[in-house]
Amino acid sequence: MYEEEKKDDIWEKLGNFDVRWMFLGCIVLIFVPMIWPLGLPTIVSQPTKDYYNALVDLPPGSILAVSFGGGFGALDEREAQFIATFKTIFSTDLKMVIYCQVSEGPAVLEYIIGEGTGLADPLKYGKVYGEDYVRLGYAPLGEVGETAITTNIRSMFSTDYYGTPLDNIPMMENINGADDIDLLWADYGACTTIEWYIRQWVVPEQMPLIITTLGCCAPMAAPYYPGQLIGFLSGSGMGTELEITSGNPGPGARTSDIKNLAILPFLLYLLLGNISSFGKKYMR
Amino acid sequence: MIIWDVIAAFAGSFLTLSVLSMLWKDNPCFKFGQQGIIGIVIANSVLVNMKSLLDTGIRPLVAGRITLIVPLVFGVLLYTRLSKEYAWLSKYPTSMMVGVGTGVMIMGTLRGQVIDQVKKTILDVFTATDAMGTFNGILILIGTVSSIAFWIFTKEHTGGLGIVSKIGRVYLMISLGANWAGEHVWYLTQVLARLAFVYDNLIMKVLLGQG
Repeated sequence: MYEEEKKDDIWEKLGNFDVRWMFLGCIVLIFVPMIWPLGLPTIVSQPTKDYYNALVDLPPGSILAVSFGGGFGALDEREAQFIATFKTIFSTDLKMVIYCQVSEGPAVLEYIIGEGTGLADPLKYGKVYGEDYVRLGYAPLGEVGETAITTNIRSMFSTDYYGTPLDNIPMMENINGADDIDLLWADYGACTTIEWYIRQWVVPEQMPLIITTLGCCAPMAAPYYPGQLIGFLSGSGMGTELEITSGNPGPGARTSDIKNLAILPFLLYLLLGNISSFGKKYMR
Repeated sequence: MIIWDVIAAFAGSFLTLSVLSMLWKDNPCFKFGQQGIIGIVIANSVLVNMKSLLDTGIRPLVAGRITLIVPLVFGVLLYTRLSKEYAWLSKYPTSMMVGVGTGVMIMGTLRGQVIDQVKKTILDVFTATDAMGTFNGILILIGTVSSIAFWIFTKEHTGGLGIVSKIGRVYLMISLGANWAGEHVWYLTQVLARLAFVYDNLIMKVLLGQG
């Protein structure tokens, strides 16, 4: 009898709330701001400000190396970061060398910075391939490959992505390792990959480092900031912050708007679960 | 709007909805979408890796970098694992990779992830420029010490160690919570961005002719 009473009480019902209502609420709240944009405010955090300043404060002609790890699987989470960052870089007088550590990297780069077709089209900023930026393509680098790049880029890439020998590219004339690079932007999707850059670029080379990564990787990056890490962006939320800071509106603002609403059913569900748990423990 | 945009909108929307149809139940559309995506990713990966092997290994070797024969031979030896008779040969490249990987890693680990982190954890308490910074520094110091204490298993967690390890457990739970929340928001972003793709490209542009 007592067990049956327990099954019917409010604490039990709260704990057994049908999860499908949460999903339905989430989908409805996804479509509301999609149809009627809300324009909710976004507060720019200090890591984003530092990330932006690291890029724009570099003297003209400085060399930026990009270790790119973007794949299509998580592109929606990071599209805002990529577009806003590349637009920021193309707005400055930096020289950029990009290499990819994941096999989808070159295709994602084509989507983001492809000449004439990319979302951050270098031609619109008057950037010339081979003079302002160079794409080295993909190599299965791993941490050992990163070490090789710090000492001799040509040991990993003797040609660029299009097959042109690096020695025939004007911009690459005096670039061959960490000594010739002023800032590293590392982009990765596996949270512990930050350790590669700390171990191979920051410690031995004293390289200023900024990173972009997934939202869930922020707790792994935060211990290195500020200090070994100058600034970082994690997830589409901080991508939105960079859009605001750099004055390059993009997909992030809308995504953040929708996320702010669509997360509410999940929070409500968590709240109900906790009330149920505490109720069962202390109120019976 | 060109025909390719229409095809892309239909194909992208179909693949998105076919994968999401798993929420209803397993069905042929889901299988088609899932296997199609896996196929495309694998095809891309194989092609890009072949290109990488050509660009970074074979072409430079043909051009005269004879030393590259060593990693190429080691790479081929990895495939001997497919044969029972010659599988032992794959141990040489595996050992080399483990050895080089460990050697490269150790160099920066001590300095970058131990000494500098410990130094910063302690110094932050004393070098903070405002009260909030000092408070944060103290919180992080307590969190670091107590979280490490949680993993001490050579002594029973009673008395002082018990209290400290319980505090450490709270810190670890907060850390895992932050991690999980980040992951959850990531998945949410993926879902909403895919639905936004269907809404923008298929519904608004193709079907309603707007935008």
